[in-house]
Amino acid sequence: MPPNTPRAYEAVYIFDSALEDAAIGDKLQKFHGMLSATGEVTAEHWGRRQLAYPIKRRENGYYVIAHFTLGDTSVLPEFERALRLDEGVLRYLISLHERELGAPPMSEEELARRKAAEDDDDDEE
Amino acid sequence: MRRQKKTDPFAEARIRFVDYKDDRLLSRFITETGKVLPSRLTGATARHQRQLAKAIKKARYLALLPYTKGAQG
Repeated sequence: MPPNTPRAYEAVYIFDSALEDAAIGDKLQKFHGMLSATGEVTAEHWGRRQLAYPIKRRENGYYVIAHFTLGDTSVLPEFERALRLDEGVLRYLISLHERELGAPPMSEEELARRKAAEDDDDDEE
Repeated sequence: MRRQKKTDPFAEARIRFVDYKDDRLLSRFITETGKVLPSRLTGATARHQRQLAKAIKKARYLALLPYTKGAQG
């Protein structure tokens, strides 16, 4: 892959659910400001939900999913450092946005052909 | 008697990428104690089973799924 191909990332943050919504918004703005992302950074708030197991003695977390595209990935180490040092972030996960990997989405034609093939299979059952 | 071949649940649901954020979907593929079910039981193709295992591991890290539950704590 050429060095500066923009790549799509997905980040999930789990904030301390004791934080005010406004404080979470501020933190997000601060973190995302560090990214100098290509295009917009979208943030999807799942809000508070119960953790499957306690993290730092907390039973609940405030989940936020963010999507962004980076041409220059050299900002990532600094970004991760900020997340790691922030006490309000219980946990985070940054990964390549998987939808962008692998084969391009199938064209209408391919979909139709595939559908037809699947219908044939059904007859045998 | 031959075991009836299971169909890939992901192909059936038209899922191209197994999403680690979909804990409701993933929870169908773990045992009561939280282990990943084998493809023998899920019926997933090898590719989807690999994606499933990775997705479950990511979901565990994000506390969407338990690493373990039940049994004797």
